[in-house]
Amino acid sequence: MFKKLLATPYALFMLLFVLLPIVMIAVYAFTDAEGAIDLIGNFKDLANEPALGKVIKNSIIAGLSTAVICLLIGYPIAYYLTKAEFNRTGVLIGLFLVPMWVNFLLRMMSTKAVFNALDIEMGMGTVIFGLCYEFLPFMIMPIYTTIQKIDKSLIEGATDLGATPTKAFWKVTVPLSLPGVLSGLTMVVIPSITTFAVTEILSNGKLMLLGDFIYQLKAYNLNMASAISFVLMVLLGISMIITNRFNKDDAKGGGLW
Amino acid sequence: MVRKILVRAFIGIVLIILYLPIVWMIVFSFTDTPSFEYWNGFSFQNYIDLFSGTGSNSARIQEAIVNTLFVGVFTSLLSTVLGTLGAIGLHAFRSKRLKAVYSTVNQIPMINSEIVTAIALALVFNLFASTITISNGTWGETAFKLILAHTSYCAPYVLLNVLPRLQKSDNKIYEAALDLGCTPAKAMFKVVLPDILPGIIVGAILAFTLSIDDFVITKVNVTSFETLSTLLYGLKSGKHPLPPDIRALFSIIFFIVFVLIMIIYSPKKKSEQKS
Repeated sequence: MFKKLLATPYALFMLLFVLLPIVMIAVYAFTDAEGAIDLIGNFKDLANEPALGKVIKNSIIAGLSTAVICLLIGYPIAYYLTKAEFNRTGVLIGLFLVPMWVNFLLRMMSTKAVFNALDIEMGMGTVIFGLCYEFLPFMIMPIYTTIQKIDKSLIEGATDLGATPTKAFWKVTVPLSLPGVLSGLTMVVIPSITTFAVTEILSNGKLMLLGDFIYQLKAYNLNMASAISFVLMVLLGISMIITNRFNKDDAKGGGLW
Repeated sequence: MVRKILVRAFIGIVLIILYLPIVWMIVFSFTDTPSFEYWNGFSFQNYIDLFSGTGSNSARIQEAIVNTLFVGVFTSLLSTVLGTLGAIGLHAFRSKRLKAVYSTVNQIPMINSEIVTAIALALVFNLFASTITISNGTWGETAFKLILAHTSYCAPYVLLNVLPRLQKSDNKIYEAALDLGCTPAKAMFKVVLPDILPGIIVGAILAFTLSIDDFVITKVNVTSFETLSTLLYGLKSGKHPLPPDIRALFSIIFFIVFVLIMIIYSPKKKSEQKS
């Protein structure tokens, strides 16, 4: 009983600073500036916002390119790092995670300084580079853990039954690692389009993604900022539910196919 | 054999690109050029400027360090106390549903977009400001607000670091202490806390690192309160984004963060080796 009571301070704190904030987002999203209930007004205003179309287009381009590049680079790295011949001590995987802990603004500013020194034109390309730089570890981590958990006897079984190593990789390892790929994608796409400041720094303020847009909107229209935030939270919730479902299937032993 | 070399080369190239900007900055912290374009001879001048307070950004750097450390230390303390208590309570829950609700709420700040978390917190602070009328001016009030905001984001990580320790520890020792006449509070301090202390320490370091690293929540929620992150952001539009004394400062910070991460990761490795 005493131990259970210890949960109360944290529960109260989370009620005030995690749950209440989310409720407030919903309240602001569905009311107008005077506080009167207005279920669609803010979303209508968003639809009429001339800048938003371009922001969404940029976000889709940047988000998808970042996801694809991170996957193409991250998957092979995660795969080979699970193999002892490349990562005997486990230090290598650590090296891929360390940059995550270095202030991202610092990494972006030094990237910008390097680009400046190399005389590279700032634009969508440099933004995507920065986003990949920031989010690659988030792709590698879940894929690495999922591949590590795959029962090695399944791959041995496939090769014993006559599959070539390449075929065993595509038919066994890849399908079984998809839950990791899926959580990697969730951890890259939404955070990359909602980061704020990366775009500004690496495009010299020429481009804007959703994160920058929400930040600017916050200064003059909290209701519209809340409405976008609300949509983002719903999207995130849906992707978490999908990811959890696949991960559950995985725990039961079944793959995706 | 060829495949092995190719894979090694691939991993190596990605690592080089990943570390290039950081290494480049550290290298250029030993020369006092305004930009990264040319090398002006090796010197410790930037570090001397930094420590003697004669650099071009010295006043701002000092203010930012004080503010960041103050918020970081108190965020870490508050997060550690709340997160540890929360973990002990969560571990003691019998009801599966209660457990599920508690851990789901704990996950929200970790998965939500930072900008959304930041705006949501700003709305709550607005609400508080209008109902209990706290003015938004003084340094102390701003710091307090920021500590609360950071804690809501850092405490969940403390909880997740303490929980595995609790799951490994033996509840019978705590019960034995109660049987032998300890009050629950005394048993908690004498038996449970020493047992989960490694998890608590790692959680505290993690909370501190997350707090000093935070930019989005800070930027959205407070104005005219310089932290290391907002200081960096303020330099973004200059032609030379990382001036000499800033390079020296962040090279030192990189070193400290590197050591802290090694501390965080090493006890995990040891426990893995045991099991």
